[in-house]
Amino acid sequence: MNPILVLLGLLVLSYIGGFLVGGRAIRGFGLPSGSEYVALGFLVGPQALGLVDRSVLGAFEPIAQVAIGWLALVIGLDYGFRRRRRVPARRIVGSIAGAVVTGSGVGLAVFFASDSLLGPSDRLVAAIGVGAACAETTRHAVRWVVERHRAKGPLSDLVHDLSGGDDIVPIAATGVAFALHTDAHLRVAVPAWGWVALTIGVGVVLGLVAAVLLGKEFRLAESWGVLLGTSVFAIGTAARMELSTLLAAFALGATLSAASRHRAEIRAMVRPTERPVLLPALLLAGASIDVGALPKGAARLVAAAIVARLVCKIAIGLSARATSRAARGTVPLVGLGLFSAGGLAMSVGLAFALRFPGPIGELILTTAALATVLGELVGPGSLRRALERAGELDAGPTPPPPEAVTPSSPELGGSRP
Amino acid sequence: MSDAHAAAPKTFATRLVQATVLAVVFALLWGATRAMPAAHGEMGTVAAIGFLLLAGTLMSELLETLRLPHLSGYLAAGILAGPHVLGLLDHHTVEGLTQVNGLALALIAFAGGAELKLDILRTGLRSLAWAMVVQTLMVLTVMTGVFMLVRPLIPFLAAMPLAALAGVALLWGTLSVSRSPSALLGILSQTRAQGPVTTNALAFVMTSDVLVVVLISAVMALARPLIEPGGEVSLEGLQALGHELLGSVAIGTTLGLCLALYMRLVGTQLVLIFVALGIGASQILQYLHFEPLLAFMVAGFVVQNLSKQGQKFLHAVEETSGVVYVVFFATAGAHLDVPLVRKMWLVALILCGARALTTWVASRIASDIAHDPPVLKKWAWASLVSQAGLTLGLTGIIARTFPKFGEGFRALAIATIAVNEMFGPVLFKLALDRTGESKKETVRASAGEGEEAA
Repeated sequence: MNPILVLLGLLVLSYIGGFLVGGRAIRGFGLPSGSEYVALGFLVGPQALGLVDRSVLGAFEPIAQVAIGWLALVIGLDYGFRRRRRVPARRIVGSIAGAVVTGSGVGLAVFFASDSLLGPSDRLVAAIGVGAACAETTRHAVRWVVERHRAKGPLSDLVHDLSGGDDIVPIAATGVAFALHTDAHLRVAVPAWGWVALTIGVGVVLGLVAAVLLGKEFRLAESWGVLLGTSVFAIGTAARMELSTLLAAFALGATLSAASRHRAEIRAMVRPTERPVLLPALLLAGASIDVGALPKGAARLVAAAIVARLVCKIAIGLSARATSRAARGTVPLVGLGLFSAGGLAMSVGLAFALRFPGPIGELILTTAALATVLGELVGPGSLRRALERAGELDAGPTPPPPEAVTPSSPELGGSRP
Repeated sequence: MSDAHAAAPKTFATRLVQATVLAVVFALLWGATRAMPAAHGEMGTVAAIGFLLLAGTLMSELLETLRLPHLSGYLAAGILAGPHVLGLLDHHTVEGLTQVNGLALALIAFAGGAELKLDILRTGLRSLAWAMVVQTLMVLTVMTGVFMLVRPLIPFLAAMPLAALAGVALLWGTLSVSRSPSALLGILSQTRAQGPVTTNALAFVMTSDVLVVVLISAVMALARPLIEPGGEVSLEGLQALGHELLGSVAIGTTLGLCLALYMRLVGTQLVLIFVALGIGASQILQYLHFEPLLAFMVAGFVVQNLSKQGQKFLHAVEETSGVVYVVFFATAGAHLDVPLVRKMWLVALILCGARALTTWVASRIASDIAHDPPVLKKWAWASLVSQAGLTLGLTGIIARTFPKFGEGFRALAIATIAVNEMFGPVLFKLALDRTGESKKETVRASAGEGEEAA
């Protein structure tokens, strides 16, 4: 198929996606984690209908890299905040700890299950990659449930904060895995941690550059140029050096958010782009799944990962119930409500599939896809039950969406086509 | 990115910070190319887009202190980072960057069409018609003659018989008639100028674009028997051209009406529409042997003059084009073959000088005949010196049609385009500054911002 037509198809899709998710009135439609786009991608991809072949997917690699980098940038800009409120530090630490536990649990399960299946180097990458892809709880699904059922209360706040704070773990894990295998070299020998630091450094430096260029006055058209320039430069530079675009872009977003006095305006400007970029990225990720390229014994590894993820999430739920007053009054299996995976998991999977083409990359991407689909089946329903038990469903009017303050708002100085 | 720069004066400290940031950006790319020298993948192109966007913007800010247009800054950033100076962007990367051109040219054509307002065209029709006739005839004739005169300085003409020489000179003369819509709109996007010089430049350059495309096809048909012994004048080419032009106008009209309808009914996500048209529709139109630039220009004209969405459309194009122009012109700078310019500088300078002089004389004559106001008599020619993408495209067509001398012809054309590309925008910006048309806009923009803030 002609790549141009595929690009147009993606544009149309993102356009429709933007329409569907942009309006306040129709929030809550579509599946919570966007797994239908993963399934659709798989359907049109080379594995099923074959409407998009491998060469076309190869042609879209730069677009995929930029898309997942952009998503990481949005996450970085928003990190530590929910709407305009700063998330309490203890909740961020808690969510990071939860993601570390889940990621490590899944990673260890894959590492030990692949003992006789993969070589030592591949085992490590597979363990880190699958662990990273399974670590998070997607905030999109949590937001979907909370907003659709008009939930309000301490448990809703808790799961919202937990699902937003854990994103840093898979992104950092991706940075470590890529740094372990980069072919880039400098005059002095650089250890793996040095490459991780360099990845973060690229993001931090360009984040500071963006903050300086945005200056004192916020001008919308100028800001788009600065943001596009710095983000694309960071993504391209990291990818060129075989480092993690996700980590570099996340660092850029977080630095810009911390250093710029216009963080609210920038967030408001960028946030509406997240879903329209996410949907084509999910589609591309779904289409990139190549079951034929999976390593021998992949089913065992994937099963181990999914079971480990389930166990870890339940354990996190139990510990949250034991330690947090907000979760005390709900069902014991509240952890199942955190089982949803989505955009970030698929982005991590796609990043690994692009960086490690072949069995290991496909293993990580396929596991991410399965985690997303299973999470869709289990997560939202369980969360709804947990919120219902906590008496937080239909508790009040729907909170205003974050997009309520848009770049077209007069206070932000103009409109954007 | 550049529309608001004039609003607040920049201090020395601001310039120092900008220079430091520019150095940091260059250092980052330098570090990446040293760490991974063999990487020629598409991600290098992605990094280059980001780099050029930042470096072009910063360079333009710094060159602003010398009163140079932003476009010169974009070009300078590209030249500096390009394969012939610092080598931070290699040839492969620069080639990859040309994909942005489709989008940039679409935006240029949309903006060009939308800037042509019927009422303004009607009032300046007499002036425009005289300028078109005099400029085209004089530049074509004089530059054909000058090319014949400087032939001893041009290596690829050495063994050419006189008839063939006349044919090649005629092609050169026609090429000299072409102008640069992109440079014109690049400058106007920065200055947001308004006034008689601006209006005249827009109307002339956009209309002459169409004329040159027709003219080059006709001249190629006429020159063929002179250049190739046994060649005949063929009308088939002209028939195909007619089909191409009329078809492009029809498609452009339809597209314009669809765009107007879309803007009326939906009116959002215009960036996606521009990207889809600039990258996707351009390819489809080219495949069907239509002229995308003409189609988009007609579409812009239709939206502006046959609907009430003109201002909104123009605003959307300008907002998007700010970013795209930086990459477009910086890429053009990176493309510049500096060694070639160095090799052919003398003949290129003579040809460029002769063209600029002829343009000036033709402008004075046309203005006298049409009784133009003094400001047009003095400055109308300033926008006509730049040459860029369109001329380069026509050169490519000539090189492909006449492979015997095509490469030499193209090399000479690139050298002269380079000179015109560097000096033309500076001249036009100077004209806008001197006539006060850019200043008016600055005042207007500041007032507008004040109202908006209030």
